[in-house]
Amino acid sequence: MTAVTKPTTTILPESRASRQERIKTQLATLGLTGYGILAYLFLYLPIIILVIFSFNDSRSTAQWAGFSTAWYVEMMQDNQIIISLWNSLFVAIVSTAISTVLGTLAAMAMERYRFRGRLVMDAILYLPIIIPDIAMAIMLLLFFNISGIGFNTWRIELAGLRLSVPYSVIIGHVAFNISFVAVVVRARLAHMDRTLEEAASDLYANAWHTFWRVTLPMLMPGIIGGALLAFTLSLDDFVITFFTAGPGFNTLPVRVFGMIKKGVTPKINAVSSLMLAGSLALVLISIFLRRGDDRGGIEIV
Amino acid sequence: MQAIIRRSPAIRAWILLAPAVAWLFIFFLAPLVIVLIYSFLERGTYGGVVWQPTLENYRRVFDALYFNTFTRSVYIAVATTVICLILGFPMAYFIATRPQKIRNSLLLALMIPFWTNFLIRTYAWLTLLRTNTGLINVTLLSLGIIDEPLPLFGNDFAIILGLVYGWLPDMVLPVYAALERLDRSLLEAAQDLYAGRWQVFRRVIWPLSLPGVVAGSMLVFIPSLGAFVTPAILGGGKSLMIGNIISNQFLAAHDWPFGSALSMLMMVFMLVATLIYFRAVNREGGAGL
Amino acid sequence: MERFDVELRKVTKRFGEVTAVRDVTLQIRSGEFFSLLGPSGCGKTTTLRMIAGFEIPTSGQILIGGQVQGHLPPHKRPVNTVFQHYALFPHMTVYQNVAFGLEMQKVDKAEIAARVGQALELVHLTGMENRKPKQLSGGQQQRVALARALVNRPKVLLLDEPLGALDLKLRKNMQIELKNLQAEVGITFIYVTHDQEEALTMSDRIAVMNRGRVLQVGSPEVIYEQPENRFVADFIGETNFVTGVLQRAGLPVEIEVAGQLVQAGWLAEGVRTGETAVLSIRPEKIHLLPGSANGEAHQFGTAVSGQVERTIYLGTDTRYLIRLDAETRLVVRMQNTQVGHSHFAIGDTVWACWNPAHARVLSAEE
Repeated sequence: MTAVTKPTTTILPESRASRQERIKTQLATLGLTGYGILAYLFLYLPIIILVIFSFNDSRSTAQWAGFSTAWYVEMMQDNQIIISLWNSLFVAIVSTAISTVLGTLAAMAMERYRFRGRLVMDAILYLPIIIPDIAMAIMLLLFFNISGIGFNTWRIELAGLRLSVPYSVIIGHVAFNISFVAVVVRARLAHMDRTLEEAASDLYANAWHTFWRVTLPMLMPGIIGGALLAFTLSLDDFVITFFTAGPGFNTLPVRVFGMIKKGVTPKINAVSSLMLAGSLALVLISIFLRRGDDRGGIEIV
Repeated sequence: MQAIIRRSPAIRAWILLAPAVAWLFIFFLAPLVIVLIYSFLERGTYGGVVWQPTLENYRRVFDALYFNTFTRSVYIAVATTVICLILGFPMAYFIATRPQKIRNSLLLALMIPFWTNFLIRTYAWLTLLRTNTGLINVTLLSLGIIDEPLPLFGNDFAIILGLVYGWLPDMVLPVYAALERLDRSLLEAAQDLYAGRWQVFRRVIWPLSLPGVVAGSMLVFIPSLGAFVTPAILGGGKSLMIGNIISNQFLAAHDWPFGSALSMLMMVFMLVATLIYFRAVNREGGAGL
Repeated sequence: MERFDVELRKVTKRFGEVTAVRDVTLQIRSGEFFSLLGPSGCGKTTTLRMIAGFEIPTSGQILIGGQVQGHLPPHKRPVNTVFQHYALFPHMTVYQNVAFGLEMQKVDKAEIAARVGQALELVHLTGMENRKPKQLSGGQQQRVALARALVNRPKVLLLDEPLGALDLKLRKNMQIELKNLQAEVGITFIYVTHDQEEALTMSDRIAVMNRGRVLQVGSPEVIYEQPENRFVADFIGETNFVTGVLQRAGLPVEIEVAGQLVQAGWLAEGVRTGETAVLSIRPEKIHLLPGSANGEAHQFGTAVSGQVERTIYLGTDTRYLIRLDAETRLVVRMQNTQVGHSHFAIGDTVWACWNPAHARVLSAEE
């Protein structure tokens, strides 16, 4: 072959323009990262400070006076708090159970069938999610006052405590939770491979068997996700409970609100920290259950 | 009978729907209708109503006292939405541009506040902002940076801060979802076609993330306008919003018709705002997808 | 001195642990249709992206029009890109897409309109101005992407597998069209593809890449006829690789395969006598003669004897699988043009002969 001139490999000095661009890029990257860190600090710092001061050895939530678990001890001895905690759990469990069943059935109807009135049903199912909780709360308050139903209480003994839970609270929680469960289950249904159900019916399973052996197990992550969301929303709800409870009934958030109105003490921080820990546990459970199932949380939003 | 059920999908659908629909008709739609009817009735002497149709409740909304609260609530909700967008967009962009692994952790870190109690998150700010005993003022005073406590509490600032804090994740998540769907090569194409950073943002990223921005804005605006907890705690009893006025009509003033009228107006306002917003976005041609 | 539009000098790009491009030096001439060819993951797209400015080399340097690019961002480089999946802005019309680059360069409105018109005419899309990308076929989208890049009159056009998403027939048409277009506008094209046929038909020169390295640069003919290593020979076209022991390093090169001594016209650097090496010869360069035609066979230059193991009739030609010994086979491709030309049956003893100039001895390593 003919001789080929060896290509130049001399490295030339960096130009002024290039240096400027390099610095600009570095600054932009640094700026964005810095901003991201600040944004997350903004989200977490108040919560972290709240938890820190729950261990404060003084009445102040602003000046650190040493470590103490006294506020937690006081919290545990406060019968009102213990009762409201059990109230919260009871309401959450019952309303989650009801709304999960109703929401799942509704989701299957909406996702698997085409029928007249479907669009209207769609709107009715979404409305409780969109409407601000204060509006829903006073609607229910008015309704229970006029109809006279609901303020009767459900008396039960739980953990050695006598609870009396107004039906109105449970009814209200179910009313907003049905929609959330339906949305989550529908998302799961929409992404479910229908051919599996077809395969099952092809393999001589009747509709009932297909449902129990194929549809329901595949839908389970969605149902559990919906139930967890309902449970969390129910535990966290303050506004609707506050307006539909009638006098004398407290869930934990309602109790906390009452305490805040009376004055800020680290005891509230202690109760708050307990609730934060509960929420965190629920998040972790939901993530654990959702593993390998990449759709989920964000869809809820 | 059984044969009919098996054959007609519509009937099967309605059977599945029936329990949920019944519940929502009785405990959601019926209450809604009652509120609507009550808003046109006269108030009774000791709570309750007189069955006498009137528009008085709606007229009263325009009394200076209530009207000012109404406009202030709108102002607070708009400010909250705008600030959430300004803070949330770069945050969503930050998350969307991280490597997959970090991105998942960051999303999780965003979801945790979303799952934690709103009341508690508001309370956390109460302990920071209070005038004489809040952490911020106490710290700044003891460091000698300020001589007088800063007016951080019991005003619109505190309410907006509380609302922004509470609803920021609701803005970030949909915007993030839109940004994540965005094809990276579109950004490269814009750069390749001589667009600088700002132009890439304005001409490509922004229009293509508009659906997420709209969703996020609605998710922030609606609960902000209907806020009750935040003004009740951070407003210090002075700075109130419609939500508090409505609650007062039911819990203190026993003026159910007026409270109903206020709620109806609030909901109508939200509906109208939503429609206008969607219109405006569509006209801009932005998404166009 | 020759003018180069694009030069890469010892360019290396690492992503964390992975080295995507390794010490690449290339010189691309003005007005050339230059292809980067290689399997997926060979570093060809990364190389292109570094020229465009989407990636910055970890070390080494890129020059465009004699200017060192360094950290200059894409919008400050005199090149434009046609993306693999076109990357048309979905929220803009065809016109807005094509006008985008000119608008960003603050060209005045009247000139934009004129140039967009010309560009659309060039790619035969006049009349489609107000459509959205989604309303266009794949081929039309491809043309919009081309027009959008060409309207800026870049020094160099970078194309990243631009035909990859099109179906076979459309791809063939677009290959010809692209080649004509390049001749018309006279812009340097740097074209990334994994399709060897595409590279061979369109390019003035090809750089074959594998595992981040450039293995050989040359015209399509040189790349096909004179591969310098096993990878290039294997990746482009079909080749017989027969392992043997090198007997003579001088010309003609001699190598012992399947117990027989054959000749070749070229020897890769670094292979020494007595070492294992690989004989590379294309199936169509081998001619078959009946086992009885002893003398005739050796007039070709060199020959090995073997048995026909399998024949496959392919219409224009026939493929024979020739067994030399227990491990060694040769694929031979004979055209079916000559009337009365001998056909061979399975089991026939034959001579496989070739001109030593067509055979090359390559290093046994890749």
